[in-house]
Amino acid sequence: MHYTNEQIAALVKEDKVHRDVYTDPEIFKIEMDRIWGRSWIYVGHESQVKNPGDYFATSIGTQNVIMTRHTDGLVHVLFNRCSHKGAQLIGDACGHAKQMRCPYHGYIFDTAGTLIHIPQEEGYAGSPYGKGKDESNIKRVARVDSYRGLVFASLSASGPDLRTWLGGAALSIDNMADRSPQGELEIAGGCFRYVHDSNWKMFVENLNDAMHPMVVHQSSAGTAKRVFDDLGMEQDKVPFELEMLSPFASDYEFFEKMGLTAWDNGHSVTGGKVSIHSAYSPIPGYAEALIDAYGEEKTKDILSINRHNTVVYPSFTLKGVITSIRVVKPIAVNKTVIESWVFRQVGAPEELFQRSITYCNLVNSHANLVGPDDQEAYHRMQYGLETKDDNEWVSQHRYLGADEINEDGEKTSTGTSDMVFRHQFETWKAYMTKEEAA
Amino acid sequence: MSAVAENTAAMQQPDVKDLEQFLFHEARLLDEARWQDWNDLFVENGEYWVPASHKQPDPKNHVSLIYETDLLRAVRIKRFKHPNAFSLKPAPRSSHMLSNVMLDEYDAEKNECVVSSRFLMLQYRREEQDVFGGGYTHHLKIEDEGFKIIKKRVDLINCDAPLGNILVYF
Ligand code: FES
Ligand SMILES: [Fe+2]
Repeated sequence: MHYTNEQIAALVKEDKVHRDVYTDPEIFKIEMDRIWGRSWIYVGHESQVKNPGDYFATSIGTQNVIMTRHTDGLVHVLFNRCSHKGAQLIGDACGHAKQMRCPYHGYIFDTAGTLIHIPQEEGYAGSPYGKGKDESNIKRVARVDSYRGLVFASLSASGPDLRTWLGGAALSIDNMADRSPQGELEIAGGCFRYVHDSNWKMFVENLNDAMHPMVVHQSSAGTAKRVFDDLGMEQDKVPFELEMLSPFASDYEFFEKMGLTAWDNGHSVTGGKVSIHSAYSPIPGYAEALIDAYGEEKTKDILSINRHNTVVYPSFTLKGVITSIRVVKPIAVNKTVIESWVFRQVGAPEELFQRSITYCNLVNSHANLVGPDDQEAYHRMQYGLETKDDNEWVSQHRYLGADEINEDGEKTSTGTSDMVFRHQFETWKAYMTKEEAA
Repeated sequence: MSAVAENTAAMQQPDVKDLEQFLFHEARLLDEARWQDWNDLFVENGEYWVPASHKQPDPKNHVSLIYETDLLRAVRIKRFKHPNAFSLKPAPRSSHMLSNVMLDEYDAEKNECVVSSRFLMLQYRREEQDVFGGGYTHHLKIEDEGFKIIKKRVDLINCDAPLGNILVYF
């Protein structure tokens, strides 16, 4: 169907959303234009294009783009489409090129997208096409900016600047970067691309869903603890793997206490000072390296922040303690790829990076002991919502009316509230019902 | 690589036929979901590794689809039977086929060998079937009673592709 703004608005109530927001392909198309086409979207990290000529091919919603480092040192984000007849310009995931040559008719562009050569150019004489004419250059996305090395782009020329738009979520990025003694992150150790047969919003919501771990992850976290006891391993030498898996089975009270905080533009976080990552053993030499760089006081501040999952709506989530991010790639209304990337904290002991790698293997890989059970929950929800019975609505009633605004102007609630979901859909509705990009 | 050790009659370069039989037996244990029997094929703290990138040099500095020694294998195996392991209900099934078995290295002193093979594995769960394929590298200990796995490396040809759930061992 064709949706009017009134019809879209009617899909989101104060305490529930209509099931079509997860299942209707038409809604998905509108989301790509109005949310993914307007918001700031995470593109990549500056360390992926360290040197002039480096490129990284990725996507913004369903649009294919290339992030490049040009000879001027600037990072550019270009549409991955030749200006001639539309062939995809870059065909591999990443690499290095002084110039980008289209594999079809051999047009050559520099890494800022400017056309520098057309074979037999005289054929274009008298046309608006050719070197030095803007129509022949690769189109750039409307806006590009970065924060602590994380590169964002917006397909819309207007809207808040990146820093303003991030609001309180910026602290999560700061804390992740500050965990490097040099304040510098570097993408390393590869990535997972995990295909989910469910709508992108299910993953984004689940990251702050504190009512699911004790149910969904009982079989992995509970089992890990029992196996450790059965194997008779030394109790004072708990391996990383166990420290990571066990807290997933923490009780309701634990998750309740982590709390939820939300900011404008759909961002939110679970946990602040405590999270499922709080009780990890210290890594030898790490605190010392931070103290050398920042002094005692600031080091204490940095390590006292223990945010669990931060959602930077709509395009990625991050874990500061693990220094890893999960990037949301919507493919279709019922298909989403979740990419997991790990950062090395430059200047920190390698063991810290290796711990993050282990965490990602255990929790984010396609073959791990945690993620497939989340995926099963999304699958069941997608499948359940395709059943068009009389119950058209998805509940978001939990702790309705109990949200608070704290002294910093942040929206807060107890950890198991549906506050974050209501908040995300408020943002969703605002993006979706604005006719013109604003 | 060494020649056959002559003075230790019991310990000599293994016959490819015997290696094959061992690998077929291992595959059967996996297909019959006899996870504990399969786990018993490993030496203590034996490694099971499925890299997430082509020619990945090590499991420590790069993510892996699976990297497990005793603890994590025991957790996964126990989880197969857990009543609330929702992604394993209904239980996945598999069919492992392997061929091209070759003895790549033999160390007479340590009584160890490295065997390579190619495999195809079908995974089936709830109306969906996936095909995986690639190479196995088995690092084996040769004992009187037979072989034990020191390390098993599984190189999927599509290890770095977007993939859905992987629910069973390769
Ligand atoms: S499509 Fe690129 S040169 Fe023709
Ligand atoms: Fe989960």
